[in-house]
Amino acid sequence: MKWVSQDIEMFLKEKQYVDTAVLPLLPVSFGDDIKQSVAMTEFISLLSVQLERQFRGRLIMLPGFAYLRSAGEDSLLSGLGKWETELKAQGFKHIFLLTSDSMWKSLEDRLEGGLIWLPSLPLEHMDENYRNSILDDQVKQLLNLFVQKWQNGE
Amino acid sequence: MSKNRVSRRQFLNYTLTGVGGFMAAGMLMPMVRFAVDPVLQAAGESDFIPTKQKVAEVTETPTRVDYTFEQQDAWYTSEVTGTAWVYKDEKGEIVALSPVCKHLGCVVDWNTDKSNPDHFYCPCHGGLYTKDGTNVPGTPPAAPLDVYPYTEKDGFLYLGKAEPRKEA
Repeated sequence: MKWVSQDIEMFLKEKQYVDTAVLPLLPVSFGDDIKQSVAMTEFISLLSVQLERQFRGRLIMLPGFAYLRSAGEDSLLSGLGKWETELKAQGFKHIFLLTSDSMWKSLEDRLEGGLIWLPSLPLEHMDENYRNSILDDQVKQLLNLFVQKWQNGE
Repeated sequence: MSKNRVSRRQFLNYTLTGVGGFMAAGMLMPMVRFAVDPVLQAAGESDFIPTKQKVAEVTETPTRVDYTFEQQDAWYTSEVTGTAWVYKDEKGEIVALSPVCKHLGCVVDWNTDKSNPDHFYCPCHGGLYTKDGTNVPGTPPAAPLDVYPYTEKDGFLYLGKAEPRKEA
């Protein structure tokens, strides 16, 4: 389910079936790595749309955690930690963090939610059909990962 | 001097009638056009969307057929991808099922659950459907999968808008 009124209606009604929250991590910066952060944000946004379509009945796709890359690791971790605590408190059994930023990979052991790190692909050079099929493949890979986590959790 | 001399009065009469006529026509034409517009509206390409699937190549195993169409939201056109599970039933007729689970809208997959082969399986909450799209009792979905109406054109499969099944 997306973070839109229509889907949230459904979420409130069918809450017992929704036990997973996905939070896309979207980097922002204006330094030398501006292009890189844009590419990562773009890729993760597109991917999250496809992922939501695949699993809309069981997960809620949050609007995304945008952060400044220049901010220190500790402040980012504590900011994200608050999200995780809140989501846990709201009864989400599975929390997935979706990112392309390798910074998070190095901080993985300090995060509570399952971190899914995918290298971002240069989607801007692809035509739409090709792009969709690539994203589809990526989502298929994630599919197994999600199903596995769900099965382990039960 | 010609016999049909046009008098000043006549000339003005003709001109006024002419101009008045044009004005009346100018007002009436759009009205009439609006009134009959629905009749003139071209039936269009109907609502069938072409796929890349050749009808002759449809097998008895459900295969995933993707199609794209342009969706217009006001002035913004975007390309939307849709999917169907297509196969031939025992009578040799084509069946095109929507992959959207009737429970909460996840995407179902064919034959991915090892304990229930030859079923459509929803990874979210374990919904099961038999090959013809009927929901298996005891699993979350409460209705069979939607069915696409289809036609064949130049050997290719065209899909309409998925409809909920009436029976069952």
